Amino acid sequence: MKSTKTWLALSLLLLGAAQAGPANNSLVVGTSQEPPNIYDPWATNNLAISSEINGFMAASLISKDNEGDLYADIATTVPTLANGGYKLTKNAAGDVTSNSVTYSIRKDAKWSDGSAITPKDFQFWLKVEQDDRVPVPSRDPWDKAKITVNDADTFTITFNPPYLFADQVSPGLAPSASMAGAWNSFDSATAKLDSKTSGKAINDAWVKFISSFTTANNLPKVVSGAFKPTQWRSGNSLTMVRNANYWRTPKGGTDKYVQTVQYRFIPNTNTLKVNVLSGQIDTLSAVGVTFDQGLDLQRSQRDRYKTYFVPSATWEHIDINGFSNVQKVKDLDLDDKRVRQALLYSIDRAALTKALFQGKQQVSNTFVNPIAKLYKKDAKAYDFDPAKAKALFADAGWKPGADGILAKNGKKFSLNFTTTAGNATRERVQQILQAQWKAVGVDVNIQNYPSSVVFAQDFIGGGSNGKWDMLMYAWTADPSLEKGNLFSSTQIPTAGNGFAGQNEPGWKNAEYDKLWNQANTEFDLSARVKLFDRMQSIWADEVPSLPLYFRVNVYTKVPNLMNYTFSAYSLYPSWDAYEIGWSSKGAAEVNTQK
Amino acid sequence: MATYTFRRILQMIPLLLVISLIIYALTALQPGDPVDQLTQGNSQITPADIARLRAAYGLDQPIFLRYFYWLVQALHGDFGWSRSFSQPAFQYVFQDRLPNTLLLTVPALILALLVAVPLGIYSAVRQYSLPDYVLTFFSFLAFSTPVFWLGPMVLWLFAIYLPQVTNGVISLPPGGLGSPDLDPTTASTWAIIADKIKYLILPLCVLAFREIAVILRFMRANMLEVLSQDYVRTARAKGLTGGVVVYKHALRNAIIPIITLLGLAIPGLFGGAVITETVFSWPGMGRVILEGLVNKDFNVVLAALTFIALLTLIFSLLADLAYAAVDPRIRYD
Repeated sequence: MKSTKTWLALSLLLLGAAQAGPANNSLVVGTSQEPPNIYDPWATNNLAISSEINGFMAASLISKDNEGDLYADIATTVPTLANGGYKLTKNAAGDVTSNSVTYSIRKDAKWSDGSAITPKDFQFWLKVEQDDRVPVPSRDPWDKAKITVNDADTFTITFNPPYLFADQVSPGLAPSASMAGAWNSFDSATAKLDSKTSGKAINDAWVKFISSFTTANNLPKVVSGAFKPTQWRSGNSLTMVRNANYWRTPKGGTDKYVQTVQYRFIPNTNTLKVNVLSGQIDTLSAVGVTFDQGLDLQRSQRDRYKTYFVPSATWEHIDINGFSNVQKVKDLDLDDKRVRQALLYSIDRAALTKALFQGKQQVSNTFVNPIAKLYKKDAKAYDFDPAKAKALFADAGWKPGADGILAKNGKKFSLNFTTTAGNATRERVQQILQAQWKAVGVDVNIQNYPSSVVFAQDFIGGGSNGKWDMLMYAWTADPSLEKGNLFSSTQIPTAGNGFAGQNEPGWKNAEYDKLWNQANTEFDLSARVKLFDRMQSIWADEVPSLPLYFRVNVYTKVPNLMNYTFSAYSLYPSWDAYEIGWSSKGAAEVNTQK
Repeated sequence: MATYTFRRILQMIPLLLVISLIIYALTALQPGDPVDQLTQGNSQITPADIARLRAAYGLDQPIFLRYFYWLVQALHGDFGWSRSFSQPAFQYVFQDRLPNTLLLTVPALILALLVAVPLGIYSAVRQYSLPDYVLTFFSFLAFSTPVFWLGPMVLWLFAIYLPQVTNGVISLPPGGLGSPDLDPTTASTWAIIADKIKYLILPLCVLAFREIAVILRFMRANMLEVLSQDYVRTARAKGLTGGVVVYKHALRNAIIPIITLLGLAIPGLFGGAVITETVFSWPGMGRVILEGLVNKDFNVVLAALTFIALLTLIFSLLADLAYAAVDPRIRYD
């Protein structure tokens, strides 16, 4: 009896793990990643979780909603050709030679310390973005941008040469007043250093500068978004509270919406799943559990939470080595489109996505996202057709041998199929495809490596050295900024360019290249749609890669949490941070999750 | 003894240099680098961007030169910057994460010793009895239960199942370092301690579970060996009681190999318990090394591994010196 009492007392002592929910109008988000830093206006770490958390703290001139439509945040309005905010400058031949976007800053747009957001903050951001000493992962398109201040609230960004999506993207901004001193110190410490020979010393100085504003020990001094950080317990949690100086007000008043947002960092996705099941967190971040875990969570959800599968901008595919200089590519005719087409006809992608993903991940027929305006709906679909596959193989000279495996000139059709080891979903896809290819006489050996090996430039970019035969992985791209770069021959990795470039299959097509060049300077959307229509037809006919599906992001949220939504356009649920709230606290629903 | 100790300390210097070179080479030579991490899945990065970033991170330098720079900096106490955690690697590893690891692993080891040593003795003294069979069964079970399975199971039991069936009376948090809602600046010391204990219980028990099995088996085997020796028989023949024979005569000799075990276990404690820390979201050294390797954040990996290598050398020396203290037959002069 005594021991029962002791146990009960101990249990009571242990009670009281922080329960999630709207009791104090707060929101608890669980994520499997912790950002290295937050609110780095130049995004030098490039991680999804950083972008998501920054969404709570960073406002931008214009942004995209779930439908891909632009809305104004810091700006008074979205600049367009119709309202004169977006301008194209053309030469006598009618070619666009430069373009510009003019923004007006709202009068009430302020930093969290109450100081006004001014064109200076955008100029400062651009100056740093363009500085060779700063390790920004990609400068495109800001390397060719220039800011001209028109008056206290208005400025113009000019792109020369023109940037195709100038009206779709918004420059960043950084608090020039609070960062000026530290930036000047960086500037003077590195002014005499050569960025080519003293890279490390410059980077050390950069780290000193940026880390004084963006780390757990040095939280951002001022921010522009709807929330501001108050506490970051490294390895555990990050807390943000509502920024009283943020200008947009949700319907019914700010006090009816979430006041505190807390991210809990739980790197093990199984543990994260337990946190959802035990009700410790209200919702999952877009960087959360795996697809399989999402299905598990959906099975156990009842009325405690709901599981969502949101189509993303991530394209899963299999590159086929097309480098003709590689002996195995020549032997197996992988540089012959009939063989690649046959490989695609041999696999039943519709059945695969149904079996593995309950049809939640859409089969793709081209590299363009189905939600993009440029997507070709009637691109060659390659519905499962083993008879057609066998005929194409036969056409290319491949006949089944005694063991059922295709053979030609004494060589068997046997190739390696590589992906990132340990990725359970990909490994399962591999096994299904391996069996389907075997049925038409293709012998596929699975040969996987850890992602650190696969994505090392000398491996993924090593198609020309025969490092891989077939490689399954994914690319992510904003559907509204599709340029078709992945398959331009200018992007083929070779020994000459140090195996850099993203056209990993080494595919080269003169007509595609010509159209790609035209599309890059075509500012009329309908004309660009036509060019992409043809580009996708060529691509789908040649199939340098086998398109599989566009992935989905999985997350859960408890009932009555409003406006925590996202899409492949808005990318993260933080895009609409200021309107996230609980219906039980009076929040109105503005966005529903599709 | 002093000469021996001094000689061993001197030997550590070249040894540590060689170890640091090997660790550096192993981390630097693995495929991929931090720039690959930045380009992964990102179709916007150009070849020029990649070259620019490699130069900025100093990755365009030959490996020996990079090692030399790292060594010179490390000798000055600067282990570089952690890109994944945005802090100096040294500060992150030793100030942020090491205390968490010690908080978890030291009590786990103490608990394991307190439980396993008496049980090991008991098991040996009652060899082939029912309790001995039960303890043997338990230790094999603990050996063969992987932490990555046991961890989620206890989490499920204490964070989901028991709270449901007991209406929340029995409930433990599903991982983490402490209640994120608890503000350490305003909460009372007792509230902070109680909160910490609540989060510590599950990972500590899971970690101790396996340690108990290891020490128990070791203790039982050593004890059995000692109990069969002539001097123990002589002691019994002289009419000494069972307790005196076991605890005064046999135990002192049986415990010597446990010193070796502890000598090697202590650096391991600083290294953390990678899987336990990962499963229970406990931000300790083990997770630092794992995450550092995954994120190609070599500076933290180098700082942590060099420190563990140093500790291994120091505790090996201390274990050797402890032999002399407990075993009069061992002399170093």
